[in-house]
Amino acid sequence: MIKGKLSRKTYGLYNFMDYRRVWPKVVYGLFILFMLTVVVVSVLPPISLFFAGFKNPQDIYSVPFKLLPESFDFSKIAKVWTDMNFGKYFVNSVIVIAGALVCSIVFNGLLAYATAIVKPAGHKVVYSLVLGSMMIPAVLSIVPLFNQIVKLQLTNKHIALWLAAGANAYHFVLFHTYFKSLPKSLMEAARLDGCSKLTLFYRIVAPLSAPIIGVVAIFTLNATWSDFLLPFLVLKQDATRTVMVKIFDMQSNMSTSAQFGMDYLLVVLSISMIPPIALFIIFQKQITGSVSTSGMKD
Amino acid sequence: MLPSLVLFSFFVWVPLLSNISLSLYTTKGFEKIQFSGLENYLAVFKDDLFVGALLNTCEYAFWSVIIGFLAPVIMAIILNEIVHFKGFFRVCAYLPNMVPGIAAAILWTFLFDPSAGSMVNSIIVALGKEPSLLIDDSDLSIILIIIAMTWKGAGATMLIYLASLQSIDSTYYEAARLDGANFMQRLRYVTIPHLLPNISTLFVLQIISVFQVFYEPMVMLDGGTDASISLMLLSYNYAFKDSKSGYSAATGVILAAIIIAFTLLYNFVQKKLSPQSE
Repeated sequence: MIKGKLSRKTYGLYNFMDYRRVWPKVVYGLFILFMLTVVVVSVLPPISLFFAGFKNPQDIYSVPFKLLPESFDFSKIAKVWTDMNFGKYFVNSVIVIAGALVCSIVFNGLLAYATAIVKPAGHKVVYSLVLGSMMIPAVLSIVPLFNQIVKLQLTNKHIALWLAAGANAYHFVLFHTYFKSLPKSLMEAARLDGCSKLTLFYRIVAPLSAPIIGVVAIFTLNATWSDFLLPFLVLKQDATRTVMVKIFDMQSNMSTSAQFGMDYLLVVLSISMIPPIALFIIFQKQITGSVSTSGMKD
Repeated sequence: MLPSLVLFSFFVWVPLLSNISLSLYTTKGFEKIQFSGLENYLAVFKDDLFVGALLNTCEYAFWSVIIGFLAPVIMAIILNEIVHFKGFFRVCAYLPNMVPGIAAAILWTFLFDPSAGSMVNSIIVALGKEPSLLIDDSDLSIILIIIAMTWKGAGATMLIYLASLQSIDSTYYEAARLDGANFMQRLRYVTIPHLLPNISTLFVLQIISVFQVFYEPMVMLDGGTDASISLMLLSYNYAFKDSKSGYSAATGVILAAIIIAFTLLYNFVQKKLSPQSE
C-alpha cells in the first residue's frame, strides 16, 4: 500500500492508482532526483560565487577545486564595500529606481487608462503602435536614442533613465489588460453620477488598481536594478553610475587595475544579487503569478 | 495621455525612424552626412565581420533550440508529476531568473574560466577528462553562452508550461488509462497535444529573443570574439567602437527584418494550422 500525498494524487500522467504498482514508484523517485539536480544546478552557481568571494585572489582558481573558503570573514564584505566606495553606486541605483517607479506607474498607467477606458480618437492607433514597438529589438533604436539624449544634454543625469521607464510597452500592456478587465457598469454608473474623466480616474480606477500597480512596481524595481545598456551609455561619470554599470566597469578593467582583485568583483557581484533575490522571496506569488499568466519573462 | 505619448515618441518611435533613415546615409560620428541609398547595406554584406556575425547568430539560434528549448518543457512535465516539495522545486528553478543579466553573465564567466581550477573544469577533470579551454575555445563559446542563457531563462519558461499543464482536465488522463494507455502513450496523446500551442508560441519567442543575444558575448568574451560576436553586438560595436553609425543602423534594420519575418511566418503557420480560430 502507498501512504501520504501520492495516495491522494488524482491528476497527471500517473495518479494514485498507478502508484499502487512498483514501477511508477521508481519513476517517481527518478523524477524527484531530476528536480533535485535542477535545484543544485540553479542554486550552486550563485552560492559558489558567494563562497569564492571570501577566498584570497590567488586561491580562487586553485587546484584542486574547493567550494568552501578557508574561513568566512564577514568583515571582508564591509571592507570591499568601503574600498570600492560602493555606497555611492548603491545610492545612485536607489535614486534611479525611485524615479523610474514613479514614471513607470504614472506614464504607462495614464496612457493605458486613456486607451482602455477613455478611448479618445486614435486610441487604437496608439495601442497598436505601442504593441508593435515590443517586436522591435532595442538595439535598433539605441544609437539615435543616445544621440537625442546627448542633444538634450541629459547625459550623466538620472532623469533620462527615469523618463525611459515611463515608456515601457510591457508595463503599458499590463495596465491596459487590467483596466480592460474592470467592470464597465462601474464606469457607467460613475459617469451618470457626473464624474469627469479625471475624477473617474482618481475616485474609481486608481483605488481599484492597487494590485496591478504593485505588480508593475515589482517589475520596474527589478528591471531598473538589473538594467544595463542605457545606464551604461548615459552615465559616463563615475559618480553617477549605478551598481550594474559599476560592476561591468570593474569587470572590464580588472586585468589592468591594481586596485582590486577578482575576489572584490565576486563580493560585489554577490551583493548585487541580494536585492532581486530578496524581492523574489518576498513577492514570490506576484512574480511567478504574472509570469505564468502573461507569458512575460523580464 | 499627452506626456506619455511624448515619452513613447522620444524613447521608442522617433529613435526607430531616425535609425532607419540613418541607415540610408553616409555618416560621420553620429551625424548624417549625405544620402547614399542602400550603400551601407551593401557595405555591411561585404564586411566579413557582418557575415560572420550573421552565421554566429544563426548558430546561437540553433543551439538555443537544441539546449534551451526542450529543457523547460521536460522540467515542467516532471515538476507537474511531483507532489512532494513542489513549491520548493518551483522557487529554486525560477531563482536564476532573478539574477540580473550582467551579473549572470559575469557569474558564468567565472564558472567557465579556462584555468584548471574553475568549477566547470574541476567537474570535467573529476569525470576523468582533460581540462578544457571552455569559454576561450572558439568552438565551444557559443554553446557555453547558450548554457548560461538557459540557466537564467529556463525557470521562467517552465512556469508558463506548468500553468498550462495544470489546466489539463484529469478526465483526459482517466480516459487514456481506461483505454490501457501506458505512461509514454499518455504523454504522447494527452500531455503533448495540450502543450502544443504553448510550445509553438514559446519556440518563436525564444528564437526572437536569442537573435538579440548581446550582453553575454560582450561580457563573457570582452566585447566578443570573431567566433562569438552576434548581430546585436556587432551593431553596437559599429556604433560605439568603430564610429560607423550608418553600418550599425543598417545592421539593426537587417536584424529587425529577420525578427519581423519570423513573427510573420509564425502568424502565417499559426493560421494555417488552426483555421477554426479567427
